[in-house]
Amino acid sequence: MLSQISSWRGAQYLDTGWVGPAFVVVLVIFILINIRRAGGGKDLYIRRIAGLNAIDEAVGRATEMGRPVLMVPGLSDTVNAVVVQALNIFSYVSRVAARFSNPILICCYNAAIYTVGQEVIRDVYNQEGMADKFDPDSVRFISDRQFAFAAGVSGLILREQAAATFFMGEFYAESLIFAETANSIGAIQIASSTESTQTPFFIAACDYVLIGDEFYAASAYLTRQPVLVGSLVGQDWCKLLVMGTVLLGVIANTIQLGPFGHKTITMERSDTQVKQLDNPRPIKISDTFMSQMLNPQEDPELKVEREMDPNAKTEGATE
Amino acid sequence: MNLFLQAQPSFWNAPSYSGELWIKLLLGLAVGVGLIFALMAAPVQVRRPIVAAVTFISGLFYVLFYFWPNPVQRQDGQLPRDFVENVGFQLEDAVQVVVPITNILTALLLGLGIYSLFRIHFRKVSKMQRDWGFSLVLLGSMFAMIIFGYWDWITTHGPNEVLMESRSNWGFANYGRDLLFNGILQQMDAAMFSLIAFFILSAAYRAFRVRSVEATIMLLTALIMMLSLMGAVTYFVDTKMLGDPRPDSMLFNFTLTEVAKWIKDTFQTSSLRGIDFGVGIGALAMGLRLWLSLERQGAGA
Amino acid sequence: MAQVEKQPTLGDRLQSLPKWMLYLILIVVMSIPLVFMKGCKVPGKPEESTVDLFYKLMTLPEGSTVLLSSDWTNSTAGESAGQFDSLMRILMRKNIKVCIFTSADPQAPQVARDELMVLNEERKKEGDKPYEQWNDYLILGYFPNAEGTLNAIRSNVRKAFDGKKKLPPGETVPRDVFLSPVLQNIKRVEDFQMVLVITASKTSNITIERLSDKLSADGKLGMMVTGVMGPETQVYYASGQLVGLSKGLKGVFELEQMMAKGLNNPDFATAEIRSEKYKDTPIQGFPGKQNEGKGTKYYPTLHFALGLLILAVIIGNIGMAMSRRQGVEK
Repeated sequence: MLSQISSWRGAQYLDTGWVGPAFVVVLVIFILINIRRAGGGKDLYIRRIAGLNAIDEAVGRATEMGRPVLMVPGLSDTVNAVVVQALNIFSYVSRVAARFSNPILICCYNAAIYTVGQEVIRDVYNQEGMADKFDPDSVRFISDRQFAFAAGVSGLILREQAAATFFMGEFYAESLIFAETANSIGAIQIASSTESTQTPFFIAACDYVLIGDEFYAASAYLTRQPVLVGSLVGQDWCKLLVMGTVLLGVIANTIQLGPFGHKTITMERSDTQVKQLDNPRPIKISDTFMSQMLNPQEDPELKVEREMDPNAKTEGATE
Repeated sequence: MNLFLQAQPSFWNAPSYSGELWIKLLLGLAVGVGLIFALMAAPVQVRRPIVAAVTFISGLFYVLFYFWPNPVQRQDGQLPRDFVENVGFQLEDAVQVVVPITNILTALLLGLGIYSLFRIHFRKVSKMQRDWGFSLVLLGSMFAMIIFGYWDWITTHGPNEVLMESRSNWGFANYGRDLLFNGILQQMDAAMFSLIAFFILSAAYRAFRVRSVEATIMLLTALIMMLSLMGAVTYFVDTKMLGDPRPDSMLFNFTLTEVAKWIKDTFQTSSLRGIDFGVGIGALAMGLRLWLSLERQGAGA
Repeated sequence: MAQVEKQPTLGDRLQSLPKWMLYLILIVVMSIPLVFMKGCKVPGKPEESTVDLFYKLMTLPEGSTVLLSSDWTNSTAGESAGQFDSLMRILMRKNIKVCIFTSADPQAPQVARDELMVLNEERKKEGDKPYEQWNDYLILGYFPNAEGTLNAIRSNVRKAFDGKKKLPPGETVPRDVFLSPVLQNIKRVEDFQMVLVITASKTSNITIERLSDKLSADGKLGMMVTGVMGPETQVYYASGQLVGLSKGLKGVFELEQMMAKGLNNPDFATAEIRSEKYKDTPIQGFPGKQNEGKGTKYYPTLHFALGLLILAVIIGNIGMAMSRRQGVEK
């Protein structure tokens, strides 16, 4: 019975709550180990990703046609991991475009992304020795309203007649608007959405699509930096761990529930206590080992006594 | 001392609308601007470790919030029992302070975004460049929305807030904001969303072709799913054609509803889960690299 | 030597219909049910996820409080407004108090307010007391930064909504919302009888990430999402993290049907809408009240739209097959 607890056990670690944080720690260790391994000079293999191989072809086509390359880093509300990854990919695309002296256009949904994007692209042009060719207006803030942004970008695609479009990041309902608009002018399109519900729309309308975590693999694929490649291998180890957990769950549940789910139990664990049942009953999913491990229970007898702060305001005081 | 308990007077806060608050705000602004200039003046070799340190400390808050033991059964006005609980209390209280920081940054940067819009489009209008008419419409709409938005906010904010919920008390500014916001912006949002219906039709017509075995399987699956969304079709197939079989009968497994449910439960759910796992792990790795400043180019450079 | 231009065959024409023609056909076809089929009743059997949601809502104790994250605007009104209407009709008729907030869009609170006004008018016509802000519901407004807001709700819901004040009816000074009958008994997020999300954006995922471990085990988390988001949210329903899920316009239609006809009502053997899972607990629904709304009204239109989509795909493939055969013959 957990009527007394020691302070080092936090609310999130009670019962089987420690499983989640421990799992995360293992995932982090896998990634860090492989970053270290790759830094040691090991050559690690990445399979071919068609959409990324097509970047040079797309930019080259835009240069031949004398039309700009348009990029959209998604509709994120803040500068998060998705946006940073999108900007990493776009910095590669911009580098290729800069070498061909092809104009680019990056349409930003959020002012923070616009600020960061401008600096990233300015750095790219500086590194290529073409600081004078960088146009600050090539990275622009359109709007932070979803459909105003969609209307603005669609208008830009049609007026500027972009020959190559890159849609990478968080996209929602407007994904099809972008893809169809670009398709209507014959632009070559490479897209990726972290929202799995929008991937089918991109697949229907775009030439190349990066599905799921191919988006996160892109920077490792393009640059082959050891840290990024190592991180990618670490992610694969994490996926193996997840698959192992799923397999463990399948085996455990099959044994416990029985192939036809007809097993009965005489004891059950609820509110962290194992109790004898008055009458045997059919086993439920919530009785299984995996369900109990992943759904920590609360102990109703747990009571924590603390001193009260003498300076604290009393509840319900009138305003 | 709990740095984040705003109810207690401390060095970090001051009463609303007081002179002390304005002084502390200006002091904070001066220190911030000074730090920016100091960073810009610092040699490049020094800048990177400073940026990495600030990034690490900022990310450390959320990592600690996730891993540090959260206080159990905390009630208002309770004191922590030891160091571990003290840190836990501080982290919980700090969430209310840290969360608005992102909002404040976004609001500040919005000014930059608006400036960029204004600069680009004002130049187009003043030099009558190509498509300057669209730029004029944008500038006009932007200023109209800003003016009416703020005018409406001033009239509705404060003691009049409840009175202004009734349209009979509205003035010119309120009707103007209502027309621009509810009458135009919201309806245009809905119109843009409706375009998707047309685009879905043209995309599906163009893209869904039986070019290979995989494409055929995909088309058949999509057909079953679309038909299962149509109640009239499921009624005809399940009830009229198959005679509304009982759930424990073999025939029940071949009803359109059950076949669609099976596709959703086996193929669709498991595939989406797989993709979600991959994307989630990718985001974790990306976040880890950003936090530890292991990214060499892009935003971290 | 002059070249004769190859005439497009029937197959070529069938697989390259101009877009303007497709769009015109769409407008005409979608207008048919809207203009000529008003009041048309379409049969339909609810999905298990919608049945679960309906059952959970109908078995909430009267007088309890529900937290609703209303994250939709007029752009998805076709689905989300219908979901909101159905949900609020159920909650209002069960005398359940509702605390509404939003973390997705600043337009959302006003949209919710407007929709509540319409529902209150409907209640007046039915002879029921309209829902009153402070006593029956609260709209707390827009909270930017969904992750942070939901983190704050998770760790301390009182601090998350700290400083919010509303005017009680008949008074002149706004008071703290936690003094209202809606929130007076709420100290933690677990004290809400249920947390519901009506959304067309990623706030569904964020809510599950932040609140699932506190609520899912007690079956207190439910969602109503657009049709496009249905598959990704289905994953969470299948794993048991959501007690119920309503997806898109079809979900709204199913809820409206169950509100009108009940579930396993009067008993499992003779009910129009049956569920094996709840066969021992029939639910009556709300006979004699306004149950049919946007779901029932637009469900025939959905049939026409999907039918046209299927037809367009079939025509395109017939055209492709004909072109290939004609090419082989030549």
